[in-house]
Amino acid sequence: MEVFYTSPWVPPEWIKAHGLEPRGIWLARDFACEPLPLASGVCAFANAVVRMAERHAESAVIFTTHCDQLRRGFDTVVGAAAPRVFLFNLPVTWQTPVAERIYADELRRLGRFLMGLGGHAPEAMALIEIIGQYSQGRQRLIEAAPWCPARAYAEAVGRFHLDGAVHLPQENRYRSAPGAGSIPLALVGGPLSRAQMASLDAIEKAGGRVVLNATEAGERSLWPDFPLDDAQIGTAERSVYAAETSVDQPGQASAGMVSLPGSCSVNDALLARLARGCLANCVDVFQRPNTRLYDWLRERLTARQVRGIVLWHYVGCDLWRAEAQPMREAFGLPVVLLDADEAAPNRNTGRLEAFLESLR
Amino acid sequence: MNQRKSKAQSPKPKGKEQHGSPNSGTVGPRKLSLAEWDGRYEELIRAGLREPGYGGPLRRHVLLEGDLRLRQLRFDDSATALRLWNFLLTENQRLHAARAQGEKIVGTMKDLGTVPVMAYALPGLRAFYPDGAWWTPCLMECSDGLLQQAEQLGIDASFCPVRAMLPAFQNGEHFPRPDALICSTGAVCDDFSAIAQRLEKMGFPIVWWEIPRRRPPDQGETACALPGELCAPQVQVDCVRTELERVGQVLSGLAGQPLDTGTLARGIRKANQVRRLLANLRRVVYTSPGAPLPALELLVAEMLAIHFCSDREETIGVLTDLLAEAEARLRRKQFVVDEAAVRVFWVNPVADLRAMNLLEDWGGRVCGSDYMFTHALDLIPEDLPPLEALARTALADPMVGSARERARRIVADCRAGRAEAVVISRIPGASHCAREGALIREVVRADLGIPTIEFEVPPICDAMLPTLASRLQAVLEIAKARR
Repeated sequence: MEVFYTSPWVPPEWIKAHGLEPRGIWLARDFACEPLPLASGVCAFANAVVRMAERHAESAVIFTTHCDQLRRGFDTVVGAAAPRVFLFNLPVTWQTPVAERIYADELRRLGRFLMGLGGHAPEAMALIEIIGQYSQGRQRLIEAAPWCPARAYAEAVGRFHLDGAVHLPQENRYRSAPGAGSIPLALVGGPLSRAQMASLDAIEKAGGRVVLNATEAGERSLWPDFPLDDAQIGTAERSVYAAETSVDQPGQASAGMVSLPGSCSVNDALLARLARGCLANCVDVFQRPNTRLYDWLRERLTARQVRGIVLWHYVGCDLWRAEAQPMREAFGLPVVLLDADEAAPNRNTGRLEAFLESLR
Repeated sequence: MNQRKSKAQSPKPKGKEQHGSPNSGTVGPRKLSLAEWDGRYEELIRAGLREPGYGGPLRRHVLLEGDLRLRQLRFDDSATALRLWNFLLTENQRLHAARAQGEKIVGTMKDLGTVPVMAYALPGLRAFYPDGAWWTPCLMECSDGLLQQAEQLGIDASFCPVRAMLPAFQNGEHFPRPDALICSTGAVCDDFSAIAQRLEKMGFPIVWWEIPRRRPPDQGETACALPGELCAPQVQVDCVRTELERVGQVLSGLAGQPLDTGTLARGIRKANQVRRLLANLRRVVYTSPGAPLPALELLVAEMLAIHFCSDREETIGVLTDLLAEAEARLRRKQFVVDEAAVRVFWVNPVADLRAMNLLEDWGGRVCGSDYMFTHALDLIPEDLPPLEALARTALADPMVGSARERARRIVADCRAGRAEAVVISRIPGASHCAREGALIREVVRADLGIPTIEFEVPPICDAMLPTLASRLQAVLEIAKARR
């Protein structure tokens, strides 16, 4: 069964370890591929997710709480699609043990949901292996960020979120030709769907070059590897056996085990490590404070000699819109806002051209 | 000139406002304009009115503070209403006076009703909501320029009017700079979260505490009863309690005294005293045949619950007076809005206070309300450890749960108040309004079958009067036709 997730901070590893197919929604085939009627103030992305959940009766969709629109989008769809939709509570704070606890608890709850969909209890060693595979994939993509052309890179990361595979163009074709004469830009902001990938071409056509894709499912979504030490793996190995005996005895799991009635069997230490790894690497605008986003951006903006920021936002997305001015102030770079759900792409093109002209 | 222009735009009242009760044979309550209140104030003074230190004629708020909107409002004519308004409109002075006396000022943000209970439990702390600045553009008819200044800070009209808070912090003219800022975050509206984050970047450090999105307990999870007949898993309550412990440490540090169990329990009992008074006031006003007090004064009274308007003891005094007034009027069958008015349940606070007058002018009355802080009206359990009780209350916030849960409470309250219609006022730019209105209306229609309407009320609604009138009157007419 396909399980679509709407935030990169829901670990696909966890879905995969339950024997289901994680699918990042951004590049899903029929996601946001048609204009949908929008009530006043409704975010087009959240609306498209709702439509996807309604339409895909054979799949599941994981919403997240990180923005009002998705959270409330879940409210609209949960009645009819309750068994197939899940609302993952993403903590907004990140500096406290409570945030970690909330996140780990949500992973447990997601596990129960996945089991309800027909998934199986994850085996600890299998989970570790899957984490390793995803980490390798992410690492390859992180390494490709500085040289890979923008469109190819966005598609590669999107594809990775969609099916876990890494498809990059040949490195040697691009290493030596970094786009002479074009202006290096950062694309920062919300989600970029398949249909919106053309925006990257538009930027290039206008004379820019996206050297940093910090949209929701761009480079920002790629967590660096977080090692699972031997002690944890050892504990996990032991827990597999413990789980095999406890899985049919709800509430009887041994100390240190995740006690989920009839459900998954990963030990607390491993689950906590996964939660900690995900949370520690979460870099997003919704976090409070969102200083990590700024730290992450600052390092890369400097290293890649970015000269301007394109802030990609959905109409009504307060979280991103509010950051335009702070970004100008923090990085000393010009910022242009592009409407993600702009009905007339020509307007965006005009804005881009003017922006790039001012940077020449 | 403005007044004249506004008067020309004002619709003629449709409701039959009673200016005296045929039964009582005395002059009954009525609503007065600001100009009429000048005379009324003189009359009360001549009759020996004794006022608290913040008392005085209402007009001085226009002249001295620039609260120009008062000129467009109509107020209850009682001395108790005068006290209520004066109390509300002198909060800034109260905060400055407290600061001058060495008290610490705590800016609590977004949670609407939880952290102030903790702060007021400690001596020497005053908590207030900078969020309240969202009404400043309305009260000052935008003469303060706060919304324009917010725009210059990159927070434009696509955000809710709470953006007025940013320049208010910057210019320091509307409230003193707090000694600490404590903001709930997590399942809160994006506008507020984004604006608060902007505030922090402007150099106002914030203590963030997480309020997770409330969810029903899963099978096998320990369930926990919350105020408002809600329920959440114990794990969520535990998380909120831990966060509140952290907040308590910050407050203790400020007060120089630990917020121990006994201290907090006393604070909760005091908060419940306010909540009991409000519950009685709401019951008397909302369930009576006519309205013994106007909707506008009730809205203001309800607002006192969230942080006691920076003076807990005085809040108790103000509410006690209001309740006595409402009960006396009910006994005498003297109503500000008569029994023929359509009973309306009102959802969300209005950005322009005048909207509450307009409802009554056009033949409606409020018989129930959800101004986004019903959790601040419910009693905090006193039979639980205090922090556990507060955590449960915080999680009962209607805005951190699903819109359907909020709608279910609205339906129950509509039944209690015998509502004939539901009005949902959208807050301009507010992210939660995009979807929740439709969901609430869907549930109300399905469960009660009464007419519902949703419309946006901007900070100054004068320009929209024809639109507001046609929409509101339409729903009131439909409700009347169903009688």
